[in-house]
This record gives sequence, structure tokens and C-alpha cells, in this order.
Amino acid sequence: MSIEGVIAANRFGLGARPGEVATVSGDPKGWLLAQLTPERELPRPLQSLPSTIDDMSAFFKWIRQIADEAKAHGMDPYKLKPQGAPGAAMSGVSGGMSGSDSGFSIEREYVKAFLPRYAVAVKARYDVAVTTDRPFFERLVHFWTNHFVVSGAKPGAITMPPSFERDVIRPNVTGRFADMLMASSKHPAMLFYLDNYHSIGPNSKVGKDPSLRAPKVQQAFAVPQMAGLNENLAREIMELQTLGVRSGYTQADVTSFARVITGWTIAGPPRVPVYKLVLDGRLNGKGLFEFDDEEHEPGPQTIMGKVYAQAGVDQGEAVLNDLARHPATAHFIATKLARHFIADDPPPAVVERLAKVYLASDGDLKAVCTALVNSPETFDPSPRKFKPPEDYVISAARALPTLQSDPGSLLRAYGSMGQTPYNPPGPNGWSDVEAEWLGADSVWKRFEWANQTADSVATATMNPSELAKDVLGPSLSPATAQAIARAQSPAQGLTLLLASAEFQRR
Amino acid sequence: MVTRRQSFALVGGGVLAAGLPRAALAAVETDKRLVVVLLRGAMDGLSAAPATGDPDYERARNGLAITPPGESGGALKLDSTFALHPNLTGMKSLYDSGEMILVHAAATPYRDRSHFDGQNLLENGAEQPYGLDTGWLNRALAQMPATGKPLGVALNSHMPLMMRGPAAVTSWAPSLLAPPDSDTIQRLASLYGETDPQFAANFANAQSANGVAMGGAGAGGGYQTFVGLMTAAAKFLSAPGGERVAMVEIGGWDTHVNQAGAFSPLSTNLLTLDRGLAAMKTGLGAAWQQTAVVIVSEFGRTVAMNGTQGTDHGTAGAVFVVGGAVKGGRVLADWPGLKAGALYQDRDLKPTTDFRTIATGVLRDHMGLQGAQLAAVFPSSAPIKPRDGLIRA
Repeated sequence: MSIEGVIAANRFGLGARPGEVATVSGDPKGWLLAQLTPERELPRPLQSLPSTIDDMSAFFKWIRQIADEAKAHGMDPYKLKPQGAPGAAMSGVSGGMSGSDSGFSIEREYVKAFLPRYAVAVKARYDVAVTTDRPFFERLVHFWTNHFVVSGAKPGAITMPPSFERDVIRPNVTGRFADMLMASSKHPAMLFYLDNYHSIGPNSKVGKDPSLRAPKVQQAFAVPQMAGLNENLAREIMELQTLGVRSGYTQADVTSFARVITGWTIAGPPRVPVYKLVLDGRLNGKGLFEFDDEEHEPGPQTIMGKVYAQAGVDQGEAVLNDLARHPATAHFIATKLARHFIADDPPPAVVERLAKVYLASDGDLKAVCTALVNSPETFDPSPRKFKPPEDYVISAARALPTLQSDPGSLLRAYGSMGQTPYNPPGPNGWSDVEAEWLGADSVWKRFEWANQTADSVATATMNPSELAKDVLGPSLSPATAQAIARAQSPAQGLTLLLASAEFQRR
Repeated sequence: MVTRRQSFALVGGGVLAAGLPRAALAAVETDKRLVVVLLRGAMDGLSAAPATGDPDYERARNGLAITPPGESGGALKLDSTFALHPNLTGMKSLYDSGEMILVHAAATPYRDRSHFDGQNLLENGAEQPYGLDTGWLNRALAQMPATGKPLGVALNSHMPLMMRGPAAVTSWAPSLLAPPDSDTIQRLASLYGETDPQFAANFANAQSANGVAMGGAGAGGGYQTFVGLMTAAAKFLSAPGGERVAMVEIGGWDTHVNQAGAFSPLSTNLLTLDRGLAAMKTGLGAAWQQTAVVIVSEFGRTVAMNGTQGTDHGTAGAVFVVGGAVKGGRVLADWPGLKAGALYQDRDLKPTTDFRTIATGVLRDHMGLQGAQLAAVFPSSAPIKPRDGLIRA
């Protein structure tokens, strides 16, 4: 077993399964590079998840039913008053970190109704991560899902992130960045999450005559009945997904870009609820992205000094392609990747190298990741990263193949540690630095979880000392090895292994 | 001489502790309490504290105006110009009893419209986002008298930037997991002591936080929400020898869509905020009289409604200073008005009060920090003049 083997499995993978460090140690670099290929088929745990159409229509379908019910009882759905004590449906999910907890909330009722579906999707993501023999690929999937963020923390979006990850991220992880960006910007989940699906050009046909829209708008309270610009998606694409903030674009560029992508909407809402299209068989194999020329702001737009005179959807595609090729984007992506895998404060040489490869390869992510693996800093023996909660839980599960986990206990674990997959608090995703995650509460919560987990898997014949050597290899410190060896039971030894500092750093 | 707390800080805060200037420590432990409530997502200040008396308010908000005071479901009147959102009934009582100040048209020095840069700057207290990698509240803690244990607590499973830095701080959030036995706790504490000082310090802090938060009434649950976190914060702050500074946060203020609806997250969030404050006041008991709570968001929102019955990212907004120690019942606003020409970049409420003048006013008159200490908390190229008279004499 070599330290490079541990690093490959731990820093670039999802933590070693028994035997993995030994296997990988032969050719750690080769093992990582071999994972930079598209997957041949969707991992088994993901195959039974609901379809994109089903995930996307769930909210609209549900809210329509509530509205119908309210009307059937002689109530105006627009005038339901906040009342009474809460059902704190999000509490188990968010770990109490965000959201409200008083008053009646239709969105909260929705979250409650769809929490089981969310839990199943979280469990599926976990199952893939725990069982995969391509953990570096899976890390990249998680990385990009945390870059192109659709968060279920937005009321109404709780069913959407798993579809988005499957449709947009997985197929493009080793492909071109521009393709992932395009797929993301046209995916109904992103168009919903960042509000673009009802952003309307002020000088478009509908913008000039909002009455045209009235008959199109479904009579449920989820959909605003105004017609105008919403710059949310445009801003976040520039700030969080491509150029990065403070890279030279202005408020005027954001507004122009928002105009460019007016009319980029979801087939169905706000005009006809998606579920009706589904029920009526009217989608006819068409995707859920729709470009609506009647809502698109006509005319040329100027963004960062360049005039985009294209008509229709071509205009937005041209902007996205330029954003993907921009040197600021190369630098931004290179920095994020280096920060994710190498160090919170990534060595400038690595960033520069990756950015160069990005530009030279026109955003070929396989080439960029290859350069990352081949960087001399990659196998720096001192651990400089601290596992965020999800990776901590996954790495423990990989080390313990007999661990049984159900969706409820997983959500409790993630919620307690403050990282609920698919539900980051905002469109900037989860933090990627130790200062955010390593505090008194997180050290304690991990210990509690380690203890509970160890209790559930330990057997009288289990040897935690051997397991520690197996999964930590040469990174296991003598002090930890000794503490595990002196434990009063296999369960306690296992707790000490999972709670040890070297198991939590990488 | 290195005090015990400093040695903690050197361990817990890493290398930062060594490099930053540390003003002379005062000799006496403070009994003042300071709470910062961070509203993440940019609260719409013109809904939380509508200027219903401004003749331009209703027109400028074109559809999002809160109903004026006196009408059914109307806002809660503060003075001839300002009111509170109808859901802020507790805050209104605090205003009436002289324990709440509304500061309006306030902003940090940040003038762009990224949440994340805006929050970064609000938390680090620098003049530029990412200008400092420590938080102003932590730097303020570093100026306070040592007690041998952390003086600050983040009610959070993450460590927010505002609380990161040279001073040792602890964090606590409710657990849904079962507590381990004491033998395992001791073994792990000693293992961390041998292998990783950062884990060791955090582990020790966590043990003592659990002792406070889980002791007494209400232990074992009920903390899952903002109201619960405020209740827990009150426990930390009122415990004998407990923390003196707490940070609590609540998200969900980014109301781009359907802001005024009966189910709007904004209305619900304001109700939650109001209830959280009430819970904190109750939980603090007598210590409420020693307490100031500063409630702030990264920036405000556009004055006019956007195309989707919401508002987009703006500039100035409302800040609340609340507590038994606060000289309240007042509105502090150099009101820029809402006329077309009066808006910042023709879209936002114009900032006329620098949030840092409020924060330093509280830190000076409530927590006893002075000139050089305040400058270490909010380093600035131009002097920041702390606002006088926020705190009762």
C-alpha cells in the first residue's frame, strides 16, 4: 500500500472500500485517469427514479389539485390566510438551518408531500456513491451538481435536482463545458429554479400586451400573472456558472443577457400545466425546453461590448458559447476544480495550468481533469482538504460494506451535519472550504454519527485495527492505531476510526 | 503572558491568531450580550418596514405596497412616515416599549448585486468582498475581555464567516442523533489531543456547548427551527459564565417571485423572525436588559416590482436594533425618498446610512470597544463614525 494509493482513493475518490487502497496503489494515476470516460449506462440505483417529466410536473400538478380542492370547498385559493401552527416539514431536511417555521405555507405542505420522493433520490445518490468503482467520476458528478445548482431548498423544486443531475451533469462530466452549460440553461429544472421560465421581454408580443398571456396562465396560485423581465438566471449564469463575479461584466450586461434569454421557458407552464400535456399525450417525444418567440425580447443586445444580432434562440446560444470560451470562465472553473481537489487555497500554478488546458482544448473537461491528475501537487502527502458531511458519510459507508442505511436515517445524518444533498441553501452551492465545515458542532455531530454507525455494524469478530490499516494505509497515525487497538469493544474501536482526524481529512 | 483563551484561540483559529493585532484586553468580563441575526437572501426592507407615509411609496412600489396603517390588514404605524409589516407585531410592541430602533436606507459599502459577495462583505466587515478572510464579529470578540472559554457561539452546523477568526468560538445546532457514552468521549478527546489540535479544541467546545443547550427545560428537541435556534441562543447567553455573543441566521429572503401573495415566503419569514425575537426575549429573562440584537441582511431589493410580482437584488434596506439595552422607540433614517430621481441607479432605495456606523455604535456603547479596537473590527480607508445614542446610558 502506498500513500499515493490512499490519496487517489481518498482525496480524489470517495474513501476506500476494503481492499481498494491495495488495488489502487499499483497505479494510482492510471486508476484515476481510467475513470475519465463517459458512463456506459446509468448506475442501477438511478434507473428506477421518476422521469424528468414526472419530476418537473409534480409541483404544478399538486398545486393545481390543491387549488381545485379549495374551490370545491367554496374557497378562493388566492385568499387562503396564514393560520395556526406550522408543520415543520423542512426541519428534518434542512437541519433547522433555513426556512421559516411559522404560519401556513402552501410550499411547506408541498415539501411535506414530496419528502419521501426526495428521500428516495438522496438514498439513490448515496447508493451509487457507496458502491461505485469509479469514485473519481462520481466526485466529478457531485462537483458539477454543486456548480450548476438547482436546489430543492426552493419551494416547488424539491423533486427537480435528481432529474437535473441525471440529464445535465452525468452525460457531460467528461465532455465539453459548453455542452453542460447549454444543457443546464435549457433544462426545465434550472429554468424553474432561477425563475427564467416566466421572464418575458418587455417589447415582446406578450410583453407589450400582457392580456395575450392571461388566457395562457393557469389559474393556480403558483404562477405570477405579470409579464416582465426577471434577471435571476442571467445573473447567476454569469456570476456563478461561467465568468465568476467581479470578472468585468456590469449590471447592464446582466440585464442585456436577461433579455437575450427571455422566451427560454418550459413546455407547459405557465401556459398549460405540464401534467396536462403529459396526461393528454401532447408532448409527443418533445423535450421540456421550449423557446417561445412571443415572449422573447426582439432585437440585438450588447453584452460585454459584443453585439448579438441573432434572432430567436440562436441569440442565447451564441452568448452561452462565448461565455463558455471566455478566459474568465477558464480561470473560474480551474480555480474551483483545484480548490475542490487540492487545497482550499489552491496553488496558483495548478490553477494557471488547468485554465490553460481549458482554453487550449475549448473547454474539454476530460483534458482539464487529466491535467489535474497529472499535476505535481496532486499527490502532495499532507492532507489539505476536510471532507464535507456528505463525503464523510459516504466514505464511512464505503469502508463498512455491511452498513445498512435507510432514507430516513440518511436524512437525519445529513441534516444533523448541515449538508442535505440536492438542497444547498442558494445557487452558489455548498461551501468547499474547511473554515465553513470544521467547527465545534460538526466535530461533535460526526462523532455522534460515527458512534451510532459503529454500533449498528460492529460484530464480536470484527477487527477495527485491520480495517483501519486497510482503508487508511500509511495515512493512519500511530496514535490512532493505538487508540483503536486499545478500544474496549469492536464498536468503540470502529467509532474511534471513523471519528479520527485522518479519516475526516484527505 | 498568554491567557488560557488566547491559547485556545491559537489552536482553534489557526495561524490567523498569531498575525492579527490584538488590542489591550480589558480587565473585566462583560455582562453585555450581543446577538447578530443575519437574514440571508436580501430582505425587502420596503416590505418589512414600509414607508407608507412617503407620498411616493405606493406608486413606486407599483403593486407591492403594504396597505397603510389604519386600514384592514394594514401596516403597523411607527411614525408619520414609517410602519412595520403587519406580521411584525412583536417588533411593534418592542418599539412601543422603547426597545427597538428601525434604521432605514442602510447598507454595507457593497454596491453590486451578488448575494454571495454581499454576504461576504457583510460578514467580513471589509470594504471589498473577500477583502478579509475573518469575520467582523469574531474580530470584535477578540477585543473583549478573556474568560478562558469561547465568548461567541454560532447557532449553526456550519461556521459562518462572520464568526471565523482569531477568537475562539463555538458552534451548536440541534442533533437528531443519539449521544455517545462518556468512556468513548474521553478516549476520543485524548486521541484528538495527540493527533490534531484543531479537532481537540472544537471537541472540547462542543462538549461544553452541549451541556448548556441540552440542560434544563426544552432539552432534547424543539430546536429545529429559527425560533428554536433563538431559544437555544438565549440559553447560551443567559447561562452562568455563558457566551456573550451569538450569531443566528435565517434564509429564504430572496423574493424574486410572487412576493406579495398570501403565501409569500416573505410574509411567513417576517412572522418567523418576529416569533424568534419573542422567544429570545422570553428565554433571556433578566439578561434581556443587557442585550442588543442587530438584525441585518446583505442588501435590499428593487423599489419597483419586477416582471414576476417579486423584486430583484437592490441596495439599501432596513436594519433593526432590538433589545432591553437599546434606546429604542425611534426611527433613524436620513430618508432619500422614492421619487424617480432619488433612487440609486434608478432602481434601488438609495443608501444613506452605512451599516458599519450602526455596528460600531453598538460595539462601542454596548460592548465597550474603543477607537483602535473598532478599527480592527472594521478596517476602513475612511474613518467610520460610530452612531451615537443607540444604547441606553
